[in-house]
Amino acid sequence: MTVSDNLMAPDVIHDPHSYYHALRDADPVHWNDRWGGWVVTRYEDVIKVLRNAEAFSADRMGFLERELTDEEREPITPIFEVLSSWMVFADPPLHTDLRGLVNRQFTPKAIDGYRPQVRAIVDDVLDGIEAKGEMEVVRDLAYQIPMTVILDLMGVPDLNRIKIKQWSEELGLFFFIRADEPRRRHFATRGVSALAGYMERVVEEKAKNPDDKLISLFLGAEAAGKITRQDVVANCVLLAFGGHETTMNLIANGTLALIRNPDQWLRLKKDPSMIRTAIEELLRYDGSVKTTVRWARQDVEVGGETIKAGQRVLIGLSAANRDPSQYADPDSLDLTRDPNLHVAFGQGIHVCVGAPLARMEAQEAFAALTERFDVPEIVSEDYEYWPTIIGRSLQSLRVRF
Amino acid sequence: MAELEIVADHNRCVGSTMCVQLAPTVFALDDAGQSTVTDPGGAARDEIIDAASQCPMEAITVVDARSGEELFPG
Repeated sequence: MTVSDNLMAPDVIHDPHSYYHALRDADPVHWNDRWGGWVVTRYEDVIKVLRNAEAFSADRMGFLERELTDEEREPITPIFEVLSSWMVFADPPLHTDLRGLVNRQFTPKAIDGYRPQVRAIVDDVLDGIEAKGEMEVVRDLAYQIPMTVILDLMGVPDLNRIKIKQWSEELGLFFFIRADEPRRRHFATRGVSALAGYMERVVEEKAKNPDDKLISLFLGAEAAGKITRQDVVANCVLLAFGGHETTMNLIANGTLALIRNPDQWLRLKKDPSMIRTAIEELLRYDGSVKTTVRWARQDVEVGGETIKAGQRVLIGLSAANRDPSQYADPDSLDLTRDPNLHVAFGQGIHVCVGAPLARMEAQEAFAALTERFDVPEIVSEDYEYWPTIIGRSLQSLRVRF
Repeated sequence: MAELEIVADHNRCVGSTMCVQLAPTVFALDDAGQSTVTDPGGAARDEIIDAASQCPMEAITVVDARSGEELFPG
């Protein structure tokens, strides 16, 4: 059986899980000619690639730079200037330095200190929703929680959230590969320039009034000569962007999954002690990142195929999370599934630094949501996802309680 | 006798390598890219606890072998 190479086909965007099941069955390490790279879908192969940072580079900007002509590169220079300093796209040793700077702020214990604050935000948001009797999940619930927390962690709670959201959406067209938008690099350049310009001023202000939060930690590393001011600004852009976009999608996707599996909603409502395994299962079942990309630095064998130096690999995170060789009954949502070593946050050195934060935010959101409400009904069944290769992002979802 | 009992839980370890970076004389990666304990006495107690605490998965447990007290996560 042949499987289509069109990762942007409407049915693939709507239901990536069926597509990746078919691809895993037909050709688990697949050369996708249309995308121009390998697609890896077995759990075993996915973790092998993710945990091998020596053979696989995350330097997306470096590899993109080599593909582009000077004329193509020049107008999108701001994307390179900012994203080249992001730890997600950095290889060691730069990655080790950047991650080492912030890792301590994101450990599960450090993050637990924010739990009461997150609970208060969730309660506040849910009060408003309860009064209305309905919500648009993405805007009313999913977006509010992570944005508030990440800005606080950075030490700048009063930034302009509406602007950050708007610029982040433009940058997201490039980051999540909105392949149907030919001007995605143009929009992303505009968004990232605005976001970086804004953060530059924020960083300058923070330099005058330092605290013990993330921006000040970056500034400390700059003062010690470890990173440049450009690195500081770029990683502030990363935190503001990465700190809300994906957690927002996790909360939205999780809400939909629980509505589609009302027995599980009611199970969690009845026994909230399962909240930790419940969130891991929601991450596995329909996480916010379908795929991630690496570039082979050398010829390397994966699942019987040789990936040649310089070739790129689309790592099927959602595919691995539904691999029947790893998970019994992978398409059913079981909130008590344990162990559950999913790859929703990636694995290896690039495993999401914000994972403990996203987990905690989701735990608080879903514990409160199921405690307060019975299973809502979906107002309109024609909800859609943003068409991207990487993200799993609902455009909107209206529900009624 | 080692003073600490250190366990890296392979049902949780995602191979972030934080422990190996912070306490390379105590932790190493196995063939699957997960953490293993090579020498529980290979570094000072505080260093080991710090390395364990920086694991994004809280996959590492550190116990005082004599008293049985769990030093991390505790």
